[in-house]
Amino acid sequence: MTAKTKETIFFVALGVPTVICLLAFFWILYLLSSGIGTLNWALLTTSALKGGMFEMIVGTVYLLLGAAGVAAPIGVLAAIYLVEYAPSGRVTHVIDQAINNLAGVPSIVIGLFGYTFFSRQLGLGVSLAAGWLTLSLMMLPIVIRGTEEALKMVPPSFKEAALALGTTKWRAISATSIPAAAPGIVTSVILGIARVAGETAAILFTSCVLITRGLPKSPFEPVMALAYNLFVQIVALGEPAQRVFGTALVLFLIVASFAIVAIILRTYYRRRQPWLR
Amino acid sequence: MAKVDIQELNVWFKENHVLKDVSLAIKEHAVTAVMGPSGCGKTTLIRAINRMNEIISGSRTSGAVYLDGKNIYDEDTNVYELRRKVGMVFQKPNPFPKSIFENVAFGPKIHKIANGDKLADIVEKSLRGGALWDEVKDRLNDNAFSLSGGQQQRLCIARALAVEPEIILMDEPCSALDPAATAKIEALIRELSERYTVIIVTHNLQQAARISDFTAFMYMGQLVEYGDTTSVFENPKSELTEKYITGKFG
Repeated sequence: MTAKTKETIFFVALGVPTVICLLAFFWILYLLSSGIGTLNWALLTTSALKGGMFEMIVGTVYLLLGAAGVAAPIGVLAAIYLVEYAPSGRVTHVIDQAINNLAGVPSIVIGLFGYTFFSRQLGLGVSLAAGWLTLSLMMLPIVIRGTEEALKMVPPSFKEAALALGTTKWRAISATSIPAAAPGIVTSVILGIARVAGETAAILFTSCVLITRGLPKSPFEPVMALAYNLFVQIVALGEPAQRVFGTALVLFLIVASFAIVAIILRTYYRRRQPWLR
Repeated sequence: MAKVDIQELNVWFKENHVLKDVSLAIKEHAVTAVMGPSGCGKTTLIRAINRMNEIISGSRTSGAVYLDGKNIYDEDTNVYELRRKVGMVFQKPNPFPKSIFENVAFGPKIHKIANGDKLADIVEKSLRGGALWDEVKDRLNDNAFSLSGGQQQRLCIARALAVEPEIILMDEPCSALDPAATAKIEALIRELSERYTVIIVTHNLQQAARISDFTAFMYMGQLVEYGDTTSVFENPKSELTEKYITGKFG
C-alpha cells in the first residue's frame, strides 16, 4: 500500500464519523426549526391555561435556579475541602469514587430516590422544593469535579506566597486560590445547570404536574416544566408534532443559552489569567 | 548574639532524611549565602527558618531554631507572626494575580498593619525598598503579570518588605532571571542587608562570592563548611568545599 492510499484511508476513516455527527446535529436542528413556525412572542407569554407556555418556561427556570442554589454552595465547599484540606487516604478515595458514581446514576433512579426520600419521607410531596433537591443531586458531581479542576489549575505558588506572608491557611485559600479559580467555579455551576436543564426523569415524580393555575406561590407547590410537558404531550396526549417541536425548541434554546454563557465566561477569563497560558 | 541560631536541625520528608544535624549561627544585618549542589538541602534549611517545610505533608523536624534567643519550634510560637518577621522570596517570581498595589498591600492588610493613606505610604516605601517604585509609580493598578520577570521578582521582594520583616529568606531569587535583572537584584540585596538579615540560597558561586558576607556550604544534607565568605572561597578548610569551588563537582 502506498503512503498516498494510506493517507486517503485515514482521511475517510476520520472524516466520515465527523460528517455523521454533523449530519445528526443538523437533522436535529432541522426538526427543531420546524417548531419555529408555531412560536411567537404571545405564545411564550400566554398562560398555559390559555394554551401558552408561560408557566412552563418560568417553571423550568425556577427549577434550574433553585437546584443551582442548593448544589452550588454544597458542591463548591465540598470541592474546596477535597482539594485543600482532605488528607489523601482511604476515606478521601472512597468519597472520590462515590462522587464519580453519583455522576453515573441513571436519572430515573435519581428521580425514584427523590420521590421516595424527598417527596414521601420528608413529606415535601410533589413540589418545587422536592425538584430542587432531586436535581441538585445530579448537579453536585459536575459542580464538585469542575470546582476541583479549577482549584487544581491555580499555581500552588500563589498559596505559598500568601502563607509565607503569615496568613492562615483559610485566608491563603480564600484570598488567592478561590478568586483565581472563580471563573472555573462559575463555569462549572452553569454547566451543571445546562446538564439538568433538559432533565425529565428526575422531576417526573417529584415536582411536575401537567397544568397549574398560574405560577407556584411557594416552594411547596408543584410546578410546570418544558421537559415534563414535552414528555406528557407526546406520551399521554398524542399532540400534533408541530406543537411539540415548538416546546422542544424553547427547551433547546434555554439549555443552549446556559452552555453558551459558560463558554463565553470561560474564554473571557482564560484571556485574563496569564498563568493558564 | 546571633540573629538566627540553628541547632542540631534534622528534617525528614516521609522516609527521606533531608537535613542532618545542621547547626549554624547567622549574624544580624549581613548577607549569608547557602550554597551547594542540587538536592543538598539548602532550600529545606532556609524553609526551616519560617517553618514553611511543615506545609508539605509528611515532613518532620527535630532540633531547634532560635530567633533572637527564642526557639521557633516551641509550642507557644505564633507561626503567622513568625512568618511576618521572616519574609521569603521564592525561586520563581510568584506575584498574586492582582494589581501591583494589591500585591504589596496584601501583607499589611492581612496583619491589619494599616489602611487608607497609611497603607499607600507603606506600599510606596516597600516598592522603593524593592527598587521598583520609579518603574511602576504611574501604573500601580496594572496587573502584576504585566511586569517583566525581573520586575516581578522585585515586586515579590517589595511584598515581603511591606510587613516589616527582620529577616528575608531568598531561595535562588535570580535563577529565573537574565543577567541584567540579576545584577539589579544583587545590588538590591546588598542594600537590604543594611537593615535586614538576608539569607540567600544560591547555586551560583560567583553570586555567593559577590554579595555575601558569610557562606555556608552544604552537601548531602550536612553542613560542610561555614565562615566568612572570603575565607571560605580563598582558604576552604574542607577538601569537599575546595573541590566544589574549583568546579570539580556540583
